[in-house]
This record gives sequence, C-alpha cells and structure tokens, in this order.
Amino acid sequence: MDGSAALPALPATGPAGVMRPFSVVRDRVPADVAARAAARFGLSAAGGGTAAAVLLARADRDIVRSAFGLNGFLTVELTEREDGTGTLDADWLGAPPVEQGFYLSLTTGTAYGLQCAVLVCDELARRGVLTPERRGNIELCLHEAIANAIVHGNLEIPSATKDQPDGYRLFSRLLRERLGDGAVRQRRIDIFARWTSEGLTIAVVDQGNGFDTTALPQDTDSGAHSGRGFLFMRALARRINVTDGGRCTLLQFDL
Amino acid sequence: MDFQVRKDGESIELLLSGRLEFTDHDRLHDVIELLETRGVRRFIIDAKDLTFIDSAGIGMLLILQDETEQRNIKMIVRKLHGDVKRSIDLARIGEIITIEE
Repeated sequence: MDGSAALPALPATGPAGVMRPFSVVRDRVPADVAARAAARFGLSAAGGGTAAAVLLARADRDIVRSAFGLNGFLTVELTEREDGTGTLDADWLGAPPVEQGFYLSLTTGTAYGLQCAVLVCDELARRGVLTPERRGNIELCLHEAIANAIVHGNLEIPSATKDQPDGYRLFSRLLRERLGDGAVRQRRIDIFARWTSEGLTIAVVDQGNGFDTTALPQDTDSGAHSGRGFLFMRALARRINVTDGGRCTLLQFDL
Repeated sequence: MDFQVRKDGESIELLLSGRLEFTDHDRLHDVIELLETRGVRRFIIDAKDLTFIDSAGIGMLLILQDETEQRNIKMIVRKLHGDVKRSIDLARIGEIITIEE
C-alpha cells in the first residue's frame, strides 16, 4: 500500500465534481476516529488501526448506501466539504470486518434529513440481521435516538421549546439558525451497530452538551408537544441505557 | 412529508404522504395557515399515504389540535395504518385527537 489516492469504481452520484469522496483504507483509520470508536464502544481492534474503513466527504444518501456496500467496518464522513479527505488508500478488497458490526459517523449537516435510521436498517437487513418483522420497531427506536442526538444534542435545541406559546415557530427558527452555523453542522453523529445471533445493540452518540439523565421522562402528559421519543424507545427496545452524560444512547434488541 | 389540500364547503382535507418527522417542522407553518381559511369548520387529516410518523410528528398533530381548537374547528385524523398506527397507539393520544377509521 503506497498511500496514493486511488478511487474504487462507484456509481456516479451527486453533482458533477463532488464525487471525490470514496476511498477505503486499511491501517489508516484516522487516529481521532479510531480513538473515539475504541473509547466509546470498547473496540480494541479499531484502536489498533486494523479496521477497514470508508472515508467520505460530502455524503448523501446514495453515497452512504454505496459505502455500506463496500463492507468496511467504519464508514466515516470526514467533512461536508469535498476537499477534506486527505491522502487515502484504496486497498479495501477483502478487508475483513473487525467483528459483527459497523460504525457510521456523519456530520450533523449531512445526518439531518438523511433518514439515517432507514439507511442503517437497510444495511442491517442487507447483512441478514434484521427481518421485516423486527424492522419496524427497531427503526422507530433508532430514528428517535438519532433525532434526539441531532436536535437536542448537537443542535442544542431544548426539548421543551415546542411546549412554549408559539413554540413551533421558535423551534423552526432555532433549527434554521443552528443548521446555518458551520461549526455546529460539523459536529458528529456516530452510530455503532453490532450483533450476535441473539441480540442487536446500537449506540448513537452526539457531541452536544449532554443532559441530566435522571430527568428523563417516565411518562408524558398526553397533550404535551414533545417528550415521547424516550417513551417509544422504552416501550419497543429490550433495554435502553443513556451514558456519557446524555451523549450516548445505547439500544438493545432481541433478534 | 408532502401534502395535498382539498377544500369542500366548511371542510378542509389534508392528504399527507411519505414520512412525517422532525425535519418537517418548517411545513407546519404552511398547514396552520390553511386554518385561517374563512368559514372552515372541519379539518380532516387523511393518513392513508403516510408511511411513518415519529414522536415529533405526533407533536405536530397535537399542535394542530391546539390550533384548530383555538379557532373552533373540529380536527379529525383518518385512515391510520401500519407503522403510523403503531406510533399513534404508543403515544396514547386517542383521548385528545379524534381518530376515525
């Protein structure tokens, strides 16, 4: 491997000139990505730099699907800008997965509106993990965890905003403001899925300020405009843990 | 989420399609503007072509319920099915919103 930036053949997606991004590396997972995966999910192999990875710039839905199709272990959008991939290594063929799982890391700007839960569940189905019968509940739980991580985590919009008078207008304005902030858009959403024959575990991690996990709602006023995401997850997942000061939601499901 | 609007006398029917989720908040303003239509008494939400709703989407339905109540308009949600019905049932909002088959 000489470290040159050769690109694997992939279907053209997105506007012309933006399709630089695909490259896959082995032994070249960026140190900060490997360290984050190892620290949060106990991945010794990723920390050792042996994981196969797909590194992207400016991902969209088709690009993420194509990246999953390469069967790398780490799929990481380094930046929303197309010039941020650096020198990459395309020697990916035959790279073994580290374990039964995958790790997807996207910028908030990309994750918003990408329907990440659909993408992740499509990939779990493609890998034979999810049956159609199990999918609906798991997709809803994952969607709620990702929505919380984006909106309340990285975008730092309080969940009670919508319950104020005219709260929906304020919520929309805050969304536009935060999504217009380049530094906020670059905050990461990390999704890590791993499974055995019995169960599936998915972690969703944000880079927001976290929250007081003891204040999670046990029930919601039936007329409240917010606060049901955790109730859905509690009802449908086998287990839910919130760790890392509210920045990591760990969902466990029977298979 | 996409929607179409049918107006018939005192009724406005909103035909939702696709996914109603947290990224759709900007559309809510357009829907609430419909309630300003003169003489409207019934606001019907047809969910036949809605495939998914999350907790934020349910929050939007409850905002619409509040907005219609403030204008003395009766809101009815119809044709829930599949994953959408599952979410509505989980949220237990049947006491607040009128749901018809």
